[in-house]
Amino acid sequence: MILRALVLRPIFREVQRTALTILGIAVGVAVVVAIALSNQSALRAFQESVDAVAGRANYMIVSDAGLNEDVLLKLQPFWEKGVRFAPVIDIEGMAEPWQQPIRLLAVDMLSDLHFRDYRYASVVTSDEKSAATYLAILRDDSVVLPATFAKEHGLKLGSPLTLNIKGVRRTMIVRGLLEASGPATAFNGAIAIADIAAAQSTFGFEGRLTRIDLIVPTDAIKSEIQRVLPASARMERPARRNERVEKMLRAFRVNLFALAGVALLVGMFLVYNTVLISILRRRKDVGVLKTLGTSATQVFGAFLVEGLAFGAIGSLAGIAVGRGLAWLILREIGRTINALYVSSTPEAIVLTPGILAAGVAVGTILSLLSAIQPSIEASQVRPTLLLSGAQTAAKKTRSITMIAIAIACFVVAALLSRLPAWNGIAVAGYIAVLFVVAGFSALAPMIVTAVSNLLRTPYRAIFGIVGELASASIPASLRRTSIASAALSLAIGMMVAVALMVGSFRETVRVWVDQTVSSDLWLRPAKGLSNADAAAFPNAISAELEKVPFIAAFDRASGRGVAYGDAVVTVASGDFDIAARFGDLPMIAPRSLSEALRNAIAKSGVAVSESFALKYEKNVGDDITLTTSSGPRHFPITGVYRDYSNDRGVIAMDRALYVRSYGDDSITTVVIYLKPGITRDTARRQLETMFGPKYHAFAVTNGEIRGEVMKIFDQTFLITYALLAVAIVVAVLGVINTLAALILERKRDLALLRVLGMSIAEVRRMLVLESSVLGLTSTAAGLAMGYVLSWILIYVINKQSFGWTIAFHTPVRLIAASLAVTFIASLLAGLVPSRLARRIDLASAMKAE
Amino acid sequence: MRIRLEHVTHAYAGSDVSAAVQVLDDVSLEIASGDFAVLMGASGSGKSTLLNLIGAVDRPVSGRLLLDDVDTSSLDESSLTMLRRTSIGYIFQFFNLIPTLNVFENVAFPLSLAKMPRSEIKSRVAEVLKEVGLGNRASHFPNELSGGEMQRVAIARAVIHRPPLILADEPTGNLDSKNGDMILDLIREIHNSRRPTIVMATHSERAAAYGDYVVEVADGKVNRGSGVGSRVSEKEPGLAPTPDPRLPTPS
Ligand SMILES: Nc1ncnc2c1ncn2[C@@H]1O[C@H](COP(=O)(O)OP(=O)(O)O)[C@@H](O)[C@H]1O
Ligand SMILES: [Mg+2]
Repeated sequence: MILRALVLRPIFREVQRTALTILGIAVGVAVVVAIALSNQSALRAFQESVDAVAGRANYMIVSDAGLNEDVLLKLQPFWEKGVRFAPVIDIEGMAEPWQQPIRLLAVDMLSDLHFRDYRYASVVTSDEKSAATYLAILRDDSVVLPATFAKEHGLKLGSPLTLNIKGVRRTMIVRGLLEASGPATAFNGAIAIADIAAAQSTFGFEGRLTRIDLIVPTDAIKSEIQRVLPASARMERPARRNERVEKMLRAFRVNLFALAGVALLVGMFLVYNTVLISILRRRKDVGVLKTLGTSATQVFGAFLVEGLAFGAIGSLAGIAVGRGLAWLILREIGRTINALYVSSTPEAIVLTPGILAAGVAVGTILSLLSAIQPSIEASQVRPTLLLSGAQTAAKKTRSITMIAIAIACFVVAALLSRLPAWNGIAVAGYIAVLFVVAGFSALAPMIVTAVSNLLRTPYRAIFGIVGELASASIPASLRRTSIASAALSLAIGMMVAVALMVGSFRETVRVWVDQTVSSDLWLRPAKGLSNADAAAFPNAISAELEKVPFIAAFDRASGRGVAYGDAVVTVASGDFDIAARFGDLPMIAPRSLSEALRNAIAKSGVAVSESFALKYEKNVGDDITLTTSSGPRHFPITGVYRDYSNDRGVIAMDRALYVRSYGDDSITTVVIYLKPGITRDTARRQLETMFGPKYHAFAVTNGEIRGEVMKIFDQTFLITYALLAVAIVVAVLGVINTLAALILERKRDLALLRVLGMSIAEVRRMLVLESSVLGLTSTAAGLAMGYVLSWILIYVINKQSFGWTIAFHTPVRLIAASLAVTFIASLLAGLVPSRLARRIDLASAMKAE
Repeated sequence: MRIRLEHVTHAYAGSDVSAAVQVLDDVSLEIASGDFAVLMGASGSGKSTLLNLIGAVDRPVSGRLLLDDVDTSSLDESSLTMLRRTSIGYIFQFFNLIPTLNVFENVAFPLSLAKMPRSEIKSRVAEVLKEVGLGNRASHFPNELSGGEMQRVAIARAVIHRPPLILADEPTGNLDSKNGDMILDLIREIHNSRRPTIVMATHSERAAAYGDYVVEVADGKVNRGSGVGSRVSEKEPGLAPTPDPRLPTPS
């Protein structure tokens, strides 16, 4: 009977309210599900982009003495443990007809798929696509050439090409053309790809390899592999796939995880708000029932049953809505993504049991929990309670306690964020996030009231009585509006945090790419079969470079591994005066690169990388001691720069000092700065003609690639914007739902206004203005909260999890645009429920309550 | 403002479980401009329904309803809004003040809607508040007032825009007899000084005595009674007010 009077009848009698309650819970569940699903896609896309740029292999086996094929047999047992390996011959030779250096890359064409992504290139064998023509690539005399290279030299399918590899001359037949795009253009054209078995037999490398690329799932397996390797072989990280990359991937995952947590909070707020509104509006009915002898327990029980039922239905609806939302948004984004780079098929999103469980838990358990507090409150209602007088006095003391709670939360959060990580996990950081959210939520009623009061005068001036009523009505139903506003603020805060994360990650990636894929034209000596042949230019090349008319300046780099303490660090050298003028390194201290380098020249000092500075706790002004060819020497540190390309730690010194210290004037790389008026590509070809035959010089132009790489990452981030879209949609749905519920609550008040002569248009304008107040409040609070959340994310959680910070970067335009979207959307969100104003039954105002 | 009902029938649509309720059945009635008519009848007899129809809050199921020869059942929503805004004042049993506005703002509400200049609103509201004896409570909020005071504010709000028609639905229903008498005196005073047409619904004989005559409402029919004699003679014909010319009038 109680269940019927209090729960069942209202459910069916007030279909709109029932629908809104279920919708509110569903939106809360949907945000959790949609964010979790979008996370999957974003993570995968980021992983793919990183693989595309850094290569998938995370280790490689090399040997100074040359590598024997037998090693592959020893690796065989590790296949079961998830280890993948690919033998590679990577060797420089000559394309005889033009005396041009060419790189021979021989791989196992059948098993190489794990390592090199052929999505970036397609091989054209012949017009007829039979298996036979494909298999022809495996023949001993077959090579595959990049289409651009072939065109440059007038080669077609079937053309002969004579290669000279380490003195062995063979005429090969072009049996495939590589249509490269994206990062595959990194090869600059001068590359010949062959099957590894064919290359071994054709050029007399039977049984020998340059290196073996490895994908090693865990560090434990890495040490197991090391144990079976011959003494001369060692495992290294590929230059591009360094520690930094792994950290970046982990950081991306952790940040997405944290954002999913925030989404969970948003969902919780939405559900709580919905259930609260739904129960509070029946306070009067409860009062009546209690005068008739209903017990508090009975009332409480009835509401809990309702919470459970609504929660269950809302969860199911929410999971469906969330999946649909994620699918829709990812599809829309997928349309704008060039499928070549990132395979973002929305079909690929999977509802994992974990996501389902989270969705059901948020919907059902939370509805139940949310029902408890207002149910207790409602069950305590006394029938004689007059809803006037005492209320205002109570409100004052409440707001003071709320401020106190908020301040306490912020203080606790601040203290927590200073605590160290626990077992490598930033537990305190995550809890600090919770306290920040709690603090802002406690402030919500005050913020809502303050903003409304602030807006009252301007709104009255601009919109007259309609504006005045709008600004006055929000604080009047503070209990409901403040929770709605807190939920919205959190949704907007999540949106801002997502935007900040994307912005910061993009900035971090940009710096990483700049260093990994340098923008300059490089001249490098060709390498031989084993790493021991690591070639160098004689210093004599300098004089010849001086004479090249289109070179503005060049910076001669070389380096070596040097013992430092019981570790090996890299000592690098370059022409500091050139680097100071033309170069670009992200500096940590001092700010200016040229200041650091000029000081180094003047004081015979060095610049060290951030990783070195952190590892050995050295800073500008400190001295380091290195063993040089003339014994130990002190070097003052004049600069610290950010270097993501080397984890060992780098000590960089001017070339003159390096030559003096180590008696070595060879050059490993010449960084060339061009005069204006010549393209990098033309310069590359001319340099190869000039220096190719004599020095086996290879020119690398990475500038274009960098653009391509950033394009790939931008596509990744496009998927991350799915999170942003979800946050915005949720924010908007939240406003619509809350306003609609508030309008239903106030049907009678609105009817009165209509009876007193307000037109439908004026009522609607008032409602839209009300949502603008809510929108402004939530935008302001959300912006602040988003910044604080991101700050904790980047400076506490990331720092504790990885020991380095990603660059905090505000994408101003993105954030401004997102805020504009949510604000305008909140206005529009006011329009939707304000249509209800048209259907208000005026006579209801005249009736008794 | 003259009121004329011609064969008005009204019923409330039933839900799928309850049957439709026939409230007014072929009612015809005329109330002359400047009259103070009292609708009397038992609870549930249809007094409020009749007031809602007259006040353009509800539309009759059938029949015509004319206010000064304008058929309100043929007006569109925005014309009805303008009619309510400029020509009708409402007084309710439950006062129905807007809780978020103070006394001054509540009274000023109809003028604010009509976008009257602020200075003029100020002087008019001050004048009317003095008239109802609340000149010193302008900045108070409704929850700081007693029932009688709230109803006086509601009366001030109902007359501030000088409407030619004032509708009152059980204005004393929620007040003790002392406060009730005070309110009825006030309404009578307003009728005497401004001569609007007033229609007041009540079930109390005591309240009914304040009107010019009684209209009995029972069983879906109305029956114009003999009038509370003496009052009728007090009335000076031709003094009925017209709507404030500065307010927009219904088209
Ligand atoms: N919204 C409504 N829906 C259904 N019936 C109604 C509604 N409003 C009033 N009634 C019915 O119409 C009749 C007249 O009501 P009302 O005009 O309020 O009477 P009075 O004001 O004289 O007490 C009553 O029997 C009441 O039950
Ligand atoms: Mg009534």
